[in-house]
Amino acid sequence: MRNVRSLRLLLLAATGLWHSLLLAQADSPNIVLILADDLGFSDIAPYGSEIQTPALSALAENGVSFTNYHTAASCAPTRGMMLTGVDSHRNGVPNIPETIPPELAQHENYRGTLSHGVVTVASLLQDAGYHTYMAGKWHLGQTPDLLPSRRGFERTVTMADTGADNWEQKPYIPIYERANWYADGERTTLPEDFYSSRFLVDNIIEFIDSKRADRKPFFAYLPFQAVHIPVQAPQEFTDKYMGVYDAGWTALREQRQSRARELGLVPATADMVTMSTTNDWDTYSDEERRYHAKRMAVYAGMVDAMDHHVGRLVEYLKSIGQYDNTIFIFTSDNGSEASGGDDVRSPLMRLSLAMNGYTNDYDTLGLKGSFNAIGPSFASAAAGPLAYYKFYAGEGGMRVPLIIAGEGLPVKGEWTSAFAWVMDIAPTILELSGVQPPGRYFGGHPVEPMTGRSLLPLAVGEVDRVYAETESVGYELAGNAALFQGDYKLVRNYLPVGDNRWHLYNIATDPGETADLSESMPGRFELMQTLYADYAADNGVLPLPAGYDATFQGVANGIRERFGLHILVALLALLILVPLYFAYRVSSRR
Amino acid sequence: MNTLLRILVVVPGIFFTCIGLLWLIAPANAAAALGMPLLDGVGRSTQVADMAVFFLALGMMTVLAAISLKSRWFQLPALILLGAAAFRVLAWLVHDAALAVEPIALEVVVACLLLFASARLAEKE
Repeated sequence: MRNVRSLRLLLLAATGLWHSLLLAQADSPNIVLILADDLGFSDIAPYGSEIQTPALSALAENGVSFTNYHTAASCAPTRGMMLTGVDSHRNGVPNIPETIPPELAQHENYRGTLSHGVVTVASLLQDAGYHTYMAGKWHLGQTPDLLPSRRGFERTVTMADTGADNWEQKPYIPIYERANWYADGERTTLPEDFYSSRFLVDNIIEFIDSKRADRKPFFAYLPFQAVHIPVQAPQEFTDKYMGVYDAGWTALREQRQSRARELGLVPATADMVTMSTTNDWDTYSDEERRYHAKRMAVYAGMVDAMDHHVGRLVEYLKSIGQYDNTIFIFTSDNGSEASGGDDVRSPLMRLSLAMNGYTNDYDTLGLKGSFNAIGPSFASAAAGPLAYYKFYAGEGGMRVPLIIAGEGLPVKGEWTSAFAWVMDIAPTILELSGVQPPGRYFGGHPVEPMTGRSLLPLAVGEVDRVYAETESVGYELAGNAALFQGDYKLVRNYLPVGDNRWHLYNIATDPGETADLSESMPGRFELMQTLYADYAADNGVLPLPAGYDATFQGVANGIRERFGLHILVALLALLILVPLYFAYRVSSRR
Repeated sequence: MNTLLRILVVVPGIFFTCIGLLWLIAPANAAAALGMPLLDGVGRSTQVADMAVFFLALGMMTVLAAISLKSRWFQLPALILLGAAAFRVLAWLVHDAALAVEPIALEVVVACLLLFASARLAEKE
């Protein structure tokens, strides 16, 4: 016991020493938090991708990369947890608001917008004297009090929806009347030459530049639209990948698996499954293969373009002498997205795209006016060698890249396989900046305490893990659920791709989730189910209504949001006119 | 053709009658079938009585329509069903209820069947 206490004291002293060193080097480091959207586990070069991402590779060589970092499997819950360090069922964003069933949306923490009972890391840093900037997707609420300009960000340009077009101010799906962009809390109009990744980095650079004379540190949050649907990229970036995917999705997934093994991201013996949604490449005609290969080439081009603009930001920071004093955190909000299907050339699909002002012709794929998605088969390759993808609790939906890098960090080009969780990002940023996490109150109001852990001890190489073998981390999103404990993961993937049953895997030796241990380890299986039930009860996880279907719910909520008033007026008119009609018929018979 | 139409009208009539009887015999099962919990106390009294009489009346009117071929017995249950469908949409729009697509579809289809049968059979009469 005394040894443990001594070790803890030693660690505390070492962490303190690190802070002293960091703070001696500069008053407080700048922090740049870069969030990709729907980027799969193996989609960037440091994680084994064929996609060229030199800026991200340089960051990885200048810090520590995580092979066992997990996030929520969908957009807004990740963003809520990442910015607050509070569980999604306590911070108001257990799911994206677009797919929350109305019977659950009545509950305070199921509104899908960031609760005022939590405080963002931006608010804490702003209070501590940081400049706080944001350019990119928010998706945590769009009433004036919920926009980032009221949640701790001093300067903002933000898109409030699940996604939007990358070339113009246009909604990408018909549940939105318009693409909702805001600048500093007011509605704004995008420029004519808009391309999302370039525009967002331009704005972040402008924000930093506008206040750099006062020499205060800054926190810059840069949540890209890349590579959310519609997958769109400038032609010159797409051109780099024409021909790269001609062998198809199964070959790509195998290639990604092979690279992941070589790099040690997964054990050399780790196997992988073939998803039930992966189609047989060999059954497609040459013309169809050519089309699908281009879908993926545009995707690669979009990742490449994002990296190019990250590189521009890095160069800018070097040019103003702030690079050495900046810590970069790069990650993704969830795994690769499988939406869109593989039958995208059907007349019905093309008609529905046309109704929203899009085409998906081969020649213009990825350009302005074109709608592109990679579909489930390539999405599985993008998450390779993991199982499942976005929305699902399989590793492919939850395990994504995480890089923490900077000149000030003592470790260079290191990898860690320690478990890390999305709620750990906010406490890590706070420790990096020397700012205390909130207590029970912030600004005189009660707030949920942060329960994530700082990853800084891992990032500076002081410890091997921040979660003990016996500690557990629970997760739930729209019926998809998981509990992590040590090397083990209890997981339930909801319909239609999952079977809605619990399974148990050792994700250290079997990250591909190929060997279910529920029968061979009944004691652990039962224990982890009990721990999950405790997690669900402690955090207010609500059961889904019978027959819940996220796609249907999204459509129903979208119709209600956009056309609810019209339907209501029509119904009331009918309720008045029909009895009048029958009354008229009865009286005319007399 | 007309005989077939009369049979088609009788089928939902019997179905509604059975649901009404189920509310009297096994209310927990009837409630579960309609996606609701069985309440306690006065709530259960209201639930059992009102739901049973709604479905029994609906069923009997529909069967009566097929037997009597009088237009009012076709039109009354059709209006009730269309009203139910409209109020389900209203509940979804205004009161955060689920959008119950299948029940709405069933109610609209049966109502249309009754109105069609009224036009075909009652006129002949």
